[in-house]
Amino acid sequence: MAQLTQASALERRFTSARRSGASGFIVAMLVPSLVIIAFVVAFPLVYSFYLSFTSYTLLRPIPAWNDFANYRRLLQDPIFGQAFINTLLFMFVTVNAAFLMGLFLSQAVARTIRGQPLLRTLLMVPMMFAPVMVGFQFRWFFNDQVGLVNNILTSLGLLNGSIPWLVDRWLAMFSIGVATVWMNTPVVAIILLAGTLSISPELYEAADVDGANSWQKFRAITYPLLGPFITIALTILSLDVARGFDIVSIMTGGGPAHRTELLWTYVPRVAIQEARFGSGAAMSFVTIIVTVVFTLYLFRQLLKSRIL
Amino acid sequence: MSKHKLFASLFAVGAVLAACAAPPSPAPQAPQPPAAEPTQAAPAAPAQPSGDEPKVAGVDRRFDGVTLRAAFIGGGQYEKMYESIKDWEAATGAKVEIVYKGDGFEIDKKLKTDFAAGTGDYDVVWDHTSFFSQYIPFLEPLENYFTQEELKDFSQAILKSATRDGHLWLIPRHADISVVHYRTDLYGNEQYKAEFKAKYGYDLAPPETWKQFFDHAEFFTGKEPGLFGTNFAGKEEALSGRFYEILVANGGKMLDENFKPAFNSEAGVKTAQFFRELYARKLVPADMTSLLWDGVANNFCQGNIAVHNEWFGWYSYFQDPKNCKVAGKFDLIRQPVGEGGIRSGWAGAHAFSIPASSKNKEAAAALIKFLTSEKIMYEEAKLGFLPVRDSVWARLIADAAKSDNPLDKKRLEIAQTAIANDFFAPPLIAEWIPLTNILTPKLQAIMLGDLDAKQGLDEAAAEVEKMLAEAGYYNR
Repeated sequence: MAQLTQASALERRFTSARRSGASGFIVAMLVPSLVIIAFVVAFPLVYSFYLSFTSYTLLRPIPAWNDFANYRRLLQDPIFGQAFINTLLFMFVTVNAAFLMGLFLSQAVARTIRGQPLLRTLLMVPMMFAPVMVGFQFRWFFNDQVGLVNNILTSLGLLNGSIPWLVDRWLAMFSIGVATVWMNTPVVAIILLAGTLSISPELYEAADVDGANSWQKFRAITYPLLGPFITIALTILSLDVARGFDIVSIMTGGGPAHRTELLWTYVPRVAIQEARFGSGAAMSFVTIIVTVVFTLYLFRQLLKSRIL
Repeated sequence: MSKHKLFASLFAVGAVLAACAAPPSPAPQAPQPPAAEPTQAAPAAPAQPSGDEPKVAGVDRRFDGVTLRAAFIGGGQYEKMYESIKDWEAATGAKVEIVYKGDGFEIDKKLKTDFAAGTGDYDVVWDHTSFFSQYIPFLEPLENYFTQEELKDFSQAILKSATRDGHLWLIPRHADISVVHYRTDLYGNEQYKAEFKAKYGYDLAPPETWKQFFDHAEFFTGKEPGLFGTNFAGKEEALSGRFYEILVANGGKMLDENFKPAFNSEAGVKTAQFFRELYARKLVPADMTSLLWDGVANNFCQGNIAVHNEWFGWYSYFQDPKNCKVAGKFDLIRQPVGEGGIRSGWAGAHAFSIPASSKNKEAAAALIKFLTSEKIMYEEAKLGFLPVRDSVWARLIADAAKSDNPLDKKRLEIAQTAIANDFFAPPLIAEWIPLTNILTPKLQAIMLGDLDAKQGLDEAAAEVEKMLAEAGYYNR
């Protein structure tokens, strides 16, 4: 009995040793990744968070602690408030518009029998442009003197004079939105097209037998089965739109007179052009918090609608 | 505070004066621009060019294996100079890698960010007399790399404006000053002359005052399809600079002697209202608020503008019939007089600096010597830029005397007179560009009608005062 107990104790000790050895090995293997992540992600985040509580400027890059002064200033800054609202509106409209257009295009292409490979290739053309080029391209389209849009409207006899597309607040936001939607719709379309083509034709054949019309087939079969693809498409789309600094920067630069100011044009304006890096860092952190809340909300809504 | 007094002493005027003029003349000391009248005679041309062929410099030493990283201004007329870099590479064995090109404002943002982050890694950077005060903690003093003999041909006034705290921070490349460009085909049109006289009660002639300038803009707008009266660069420092220029002409100041904002004065409101009226009455293109120097120059070049404020540097571009519809159809005149009885010409100099972090400072200095040598500066000056070497001025004047186009000579005379009489530069404070980044959006808002002129300037003044207080200029 004593021998059995002793053997059992030894076995436990060996098992424990094996487990701790395995844990040590796992930790050792993870250390390089953790160090790199800490260096490239955590350190900049922590340091910029620290800077958001200082009066650090690019002209005098010596951080001096100033408590919550930068955050208090944000609350009193009407331009920040305006940029914040503009950003929310812009995100809401462009993400939804690009998603709906992408969904429509994917369904149209999926039903095309002849020339589908060509259409797929054409769909991807906007993705081949760098955002900077898209910005320049659409800045020219919407130029009030020599722009394509005004010229077409004038040629059709619909316009006498010129429309200042990039000056008027709402027209400028619309113009930037069109460029953003144009660039981001193909990503959605390609992902949803792949999803649509992966759905078994037998499901549609069964629906045909039941006498379902096209809309019913879309509601009952296509849309639910596209759920995972929609999730991926919306995630990529949101991230792409939220990183759309280049297009806005080239087309209007957030101006004129802050009329098209978005958070991602206002932060560099304050941090770099006005050299108030501490204030810029504070704005960035407020933006990050809002983005996280928005993302959590988005995923919760997706879960509720059983798309996830 | 002594530092601020030093800034004040550098404020303007004399600074770049004689940038283009020679022989070297003492820089005016007063911080205000000179009155419009009486006009000083254009300074005499420097005695003689230095020889038959302009000399190169910076090619007397080998730098084999050295690669210099540069951030330069790019676009338009600025590119021509860089074609010569291959000659310097061949002579010295070094390589030049231009790792960043952008307009002046883009370079400013890039340098500020890179310098603060310690990631610049440049050996030579483009710089400007309006910008360099921001970068001084990150620049290498240049007096140890350039002998007095090498510097004596440069405008001493510009070198003075490039010197702070007893150190030389820039080597100038070329200078420029505002000058009014107007269309001779429009101003010479007999029908337009008669119509103008009937409407305004005085003869149509190149504008002598800003009031006349406004009348002309109003008169010419719409006279021909697509024609606007005038245009201005409408964003970044460019708009604040143009505002500043007319503000001074109207008797106003940007900052007072204690560095408190003074631009929201009566003169400031009148000046802002001038821009507002131009925009509201559609005498300028609606997209003016998105235009920078190349945009407004292109509008003039394409024949869409009757009269406007411009830099001398675009001269060869405007005179090229392959590029410009106005080639041979325009003339120049000194800046108009404002309500303060002042002609004011905003001026400054493009230049090169060496970052303190450069590991190849000797080679960098050699490259700058080459790029600012008599030969390269002469080649660049032939494009229209105003040189900053006395010897190059002498060559230009000698060339212009032989030219078939009288404007070639006239423009140089106007430049010399303007520099001698109208010159003013922005305050040499590190916060100048951040100041304009506060002021410009407010000016845009005034132009677009989002803010009343007084309200917009008061808001900008409050923000500028706060910024300068935080920078330690005073307590609020």
